[in-house]
Amino acid sequence: TSSYNLSTFVGCTVREFTFVARKSGCRGLRITTDACWGRCETWERPMLRPPYIAAHHRVCTYNETKQVTVQLPNCTAGVDPSYTYPVAVRCNCMGCSTATTECETI
Amino acid sequence: AAVPGCYLHPLNVTVRSDHEGTCQGSLVVQACVGHCESSAFPSRYSVLVASDYRRTITSVSECCTISSLKKEKLQVQCPGNRRVSMDIYTARACQCNVCRFARY
Repeated sequence: TSSYNLSTFVGCTVREFTFVARKSGCRGLRITTDACWGRCETWERPMLRPPYIAAHHRVCTYNETKQVTVQLPNCTAGVDPSYTYPVAVRCNCMGCSTATTECETI
Repeated sequence: AAVPGCYLHPLNVTVRSDHEGTCQGSLVVQACVGHCESSAFPSRYSVLVASDYRRTITSVSECCTISSLKKEKLQVQCPGNRRVSMDIYTARACQCNVCRFARY
């Protein structure tokens, strides 16, 4: 994905993402994985009747996922060292489903 | 080609009023259309715990929204040369802002 010009890119794509996997009782582990990033087409238009604005809002998010489990280092006795996180196989412009996703704004 | 951002976009609107639908008028109103930034990545541990490990993904997003509306008068033509005036909203400004997912 490094060949994209990020400031002008339009669409939704898999992009490298680095985070620190943490849970209480273990040391954090730095992980680089595939996540989703992009700019999806969204719109709002006026409507004659309440609520007067119709919205078509989609975000760039995981469409196909695989789960990866890693072992966190230096866990205290009795703490399960395994940490599971999703890896993006495919990303798409979709609604944000609160069942599987924490939907936040920038 | 599409460019990033959120912009005014003209829409041709035709209104049929009246119970019989015999009155008619049309007007160009502005909508907001565009491409705003969003990303999705693995949720922090605190989110995992708070959601009972259901929300494994965190999406941080903005969507193209109407940031300011104004009213316009639409002249609707009815049979017998009768004219009815009605208010119709049009977008005055657009902005990448909070997404609304209430409908999904």
